[in-house]
Amino acid sequence: MSQPNSRIFLPKITKVASKTQKLGSSSSHKLREMKKIAIIQYPGSNCEYETARAVMASGMEAEIFRWNRDAASLDEYDGYIIPGGFSYQDRVRAGAIAAKKGIMRTIFGEAAKGKPVLGICNGAQVLVESGMIPGVNPGELEMALAPNTGTSGYYCNWVHVVHSTRKGKCAFTRFFEKSEVFPMPVAHAEGRFVTRKKGLIESMYDNGQIVLRYSTVDGKVEDRFPVNPNGSTDNIAGICNPAGNVFALMPHPERAAWLRQVPDDTGDEYAEAKRDAYGSWQRMTEAGPGRKIFESMREYLENIPY
Amino acid sequence: MEKVLPVSRLEKDDLLEEELKKARLGLTAQEARKIASILGRDPSIVECFILDIEWSEHCSYKSSAKILKKYLPLKAPNVIQSIEEDAGIIALAAVNGRRYGVVIAHESHNHPSQVLPVEGSATGIGGVVRDVDCMGARVVAVADPLRFGDVEGSEKEKVKWIARGVRQGIWEYGNALGVPNIGGDVYFDESFNDNCLVNVVALGVIREDEIIHSRAPEGAGEKGYDVILVGKPTDDSGFGGVTFASQILGGGEEEESRGAVQVHDPFLKNVLLMRKSNSAVWKLAREKGMEIGFKDLGGGGLACASSEMGAAGSCGIDIDLEKVHVSMTDMLPEVIACGETQERYLLIVPPELTEEVLRIYNEDWDLPNIYEGARASVIGKVTSGDRYVMHWMGEVVCDIPIHELTKGICYERQSKPVVRHLSEPEFQEPGNLGEVLLKVLGGPNVSSREAIFRSYDTEVQGNAVIRPGEADAGVIAPLEEEGSRAGIALSTDGNPLYGLIDPYWGGANAVAEAMRNVACVGAVPSGLTDCLNYGNPENPEAFWQFEEGVRGVSDAAKNLWLKGHPEMPVPIVSGNVSFYNESAAGKSIAPSPIIACVGVMEDYSRALTMRFKEAASRIYLVGGRYDELGGSEYYRRMFGALGKNVPQVRYEEERKAIYAVIDCISAGHLLAAHDISGGGLAVTLSEMLVCGRHQPACKGAEIDLERIGSPLRDDKKLFSESSGFVLEVSPGNGPGVERIFAERGLEIFHIGVVVEEPVFTVRSGEKEVLRLSVSAMEEAWRGGIAEALK
Repeated sequence: MSQPNSRIFLPKITKVASKTQKLGSSSSHKLREMKKIAIIQYPGSNCEYETARAVMASGMEAEIFRWNRDAASLDEYDGYIIPGGFSYQDRVRAGAIAAKKGIMRTIFGEAAKGKPVLGICNGAQVLVESGMIPGVNPGELEMALAPNTGTSGYYCNWVHVVHSTRKGKCAFTRFFEKSEVFPMPVAHAEGRFVTRKKGLIESMYDNGQIVLRYSTVDGKVEDRFPVNPNGSTDNIAGICNPAGNVFALMPHPERAAWLRQVPDDTGDEYAEAKRDAYGSWQRMTEAGPGRKIFESMREYLENIPY
Repeated sequence: MEKVLPVSRLEKDDLLEEELKKARLGLTAQEARKIASILGRDPSIVECFILDIEWSEHCSYKSSAKILKKYLPLKAPNVIQSIEEDAGIIALAAVNGRRYGVVIAHESHNHPSQVLPVEGSATGIGGVVRDVDCMGARVVAVADPLRFGDVEGSEKEKVKWIARGVRQGIWEYGNALGVPNIGGDVYFDESFNDNCLVNVVALGVIREDEIIHSRAPEGAGEKGYDVILVGKPTDDSGFGGVTFASQILGGGEEEESRGAVQVHDPFLKNVLLMRKSNSAVWKLAREKGMEIGFKDLGGGGLACASSEMGAAGSCGIDIDLEKVHVSMTDMLPEVIACGETQERYLLIVPPELTEEVLRIYNEDWDLPNIYEGARASVIGKVTSGDRYVMHWMGEVVCDIPIHELTKGICYERQSKPVVRHLSEPEFQEPGNLGEVLLKVLGGPNVSSREAIFRSYDTEVQGNAVIRPGEADAGVIAPLEEEGSRAGIALSTDGNPLYGLIDPYWGGANAVAEAMRNVACVGAVPSGLTDCLNYGNPENPEAFWQFEEGVRGVSDAAKNLWLKGHPEMPVPIVSGNVSFYNESAAGKSIAPSPIIACVGVMEDYSRALTMRFKEAASRIYLVGGRYDELGGSEYYRRMFGALGKNVPQVRYEEERKAIYAVIDCISAGHLLAAHDISGGGLAVTLSEMLVCGRHQPACKGAEIDLERIGSPLRDDKKLFSESSGFVLEVSPGNGPGVERIFAERGLEIFHIGVVVEEPVFTVRSGEKEVLRLSVSAMEEAWRGGIAEALK
């Protein structure tokens, strides 16, 4: 116990909610060995536990990997998630310090082999700072996540995003149809994707890298608050690298992974489902929209050899 | 002892007082002489500072203890731990044969927030989450009840600066730490211009067999347990903090007092607290089967925490101040002993665990590299005697019988009723009640609180079920054990205007409203905390307000009963007293007992929001309308009047109504429920139409005031703040709801219907009283304080 390199194993949740099957995933993963995901824990991370729960609920194994463990040992994992929080206190810039540490060097190398990497909120900031996103020129700092406009600082609310790339392009949206709209919460003070590089956004569109954009409930991409909650360029909420296996996402899928977490007043099918589930605790444990992000990750790992 | 206060030499009180003042001690001459007589010698300067703090209002409750003891109901069948430690614990649920509890703490950080709003409100959260965490709990929620000055008055710019700063401090700290903010309430009143109130409530969950106590474990003295200090290196920040908390602001002392506000660090706290290093230490102790003591350092710093832990375990303590890790040179021993540097804990552990505990903090979790100078250090030993001893540079600088330190002192304060000549405003019923409603909806005390709570992270930890703005209380489902259905609801309340008219009803209404709010989501009100914010207790009128407030709080808690346990109170499980809340001109704040109510839900899937959901639903009013508009938003917005007829809590009816609403929700009979409070029935109905996230698909409502059996005028029916509820019921469930109320002997009024067209129409028989589009109502309500807080 408490060896410097001790691992934190969380209790396994083996039950996969019924909606999973409906969404088209095979149940064969139960028979195979579960894929193992490292959830990177920096000083200041604060979403690692719920992210681990969402990963486990999606039929994968989750292990929280503390920042001062041997970074080289990360290569034994099948995939990586950099969770939300305030890594290294957002010193210099959000995500900037974490991006310079050994852990990200290892992940950079593993991603080049095709392993899936998801950065949520502060994790998205780390991916941008480390040059993995947009990754048009890997390792180069081509974008930034700038302070929100529209509100005074931090903004937390549920928003809608529209899936804006082809189905199958991004490892984390394999279960979303093109143009599918779904709700997720945002919670950040610096979430505005910006770039000074001319033509970058255009080539990202060409590459199919603009995965999710903030929209109205019926999928209209309107550049106004609160539809675009932070003033992000082209309402961009999530970007993948050209290969599609690295994904920087500002909204929090782990906070929308169960129906119980979903509000009943967002005016979409999930709000409707939440109301239908009223009074049934079992139904509240069914999947929310964010679960499909993690299930896509699992499906990618099971079906794409890398 | 090197530095002593020459009490015996200074026979004249004025000379002694001069000396005390020179030493910057807050003790009175009489108190200094009392110390000398306890010790049988002249006290050292360090001893004086320690007792100055131990005897401060903040630590010893010297003015309030008698009253609290006389009135407050603390015992109930669901109490796991009452107020004797840092936080109270009530039963939540049994999962897989093990009982879980909710841990609750409630604190104020009023004075620091007035002088440095960002730092003050941030350290307020920092302190209260430590109170919950140090019981061994996982911190799962915070909520901030806030009271600011008049945002439209002559000092509005200062008020806005404070309000914006407080909001910033709360989000910067709470969001970074990773604790969701699930509620709170906000009032604006000019009595808070010079003295805002920033209260904060924190909740945790814990398995009953894993509770850790804030005391030296049994046998710690004989076995010489180690005393370990962990966290930020001690500096001089917050020195004199509790004394500052017990002073009156104004007269230029604000500038001077800024040094007494602590500096916060949610980043270091995150590594200590958020299921990181502290929980690794608890796990170690559990695995080894060894009991440890664990306590946060708050007011009074090291001296307070260590003496309280020793005294609670009937042991002595021996501390070497030179072993305390510090961040500055040349610190005085009294500053090391009493400074209130944030983000620190004190542990008492068996010697065989010490090495591993140090390694967990200093190596596994790498504290020295997280924050310069932070670490865990062994600073002393538990002893079997009864002496509280501190060493410094080879000298004993403190040697006091430990129980003398912690037993505090008690003052008998004078109490004198405030005589106020209040009257009801006389006026004609306004012709256009629609316009009146829009004005009330846009008022600072009614309008949408989004401008504040959208800055809070309401989602972190992933346990949110109902968030601020969706219902009267926030709801979380924090137990992660498979098979758990338990939910926790939290609401905070306390209308300062009611207290201004009558401090007793201010207290009673705060309790009743907090309980109603929790009932509206379907939770059973199960525990209360009280943060009692008043003026100067040495002023007999302010003290009377305090006493009346406590009496009101207690009466309500006793008379509204714990559901399922007739004649047992809803227990007060934690609390705080904040005195000396006055303006420089000596005017007390509006008497403000702020109540938090924790509700327990057996099944969170029944948690109900307050938005009207389906056209053709019946709308029921619970609770008669009385001529109770004293302190109402209607009087204030329309006539600038306070009035006199403050709402009364009719305990019997109130209790039955609360229970019936809960029963209706657990039977699945309701689509929405919302309590009636500020702004009365009209505002309650309006909020049910406009609340939550903006969406074009909102509903409308048609109401007939004649259905309410009351001789009141229409405007008074609409705006009276007599307590009650509005329920949305699908037509098929109408009879079921009526039966539940009838069985309890309560009359309810079927006052209207939800309609598809988003229009709010109120009639009185044939006469149309008002007709407004819901979008106009929404605009007024959302616009209210949003602009002011931009």
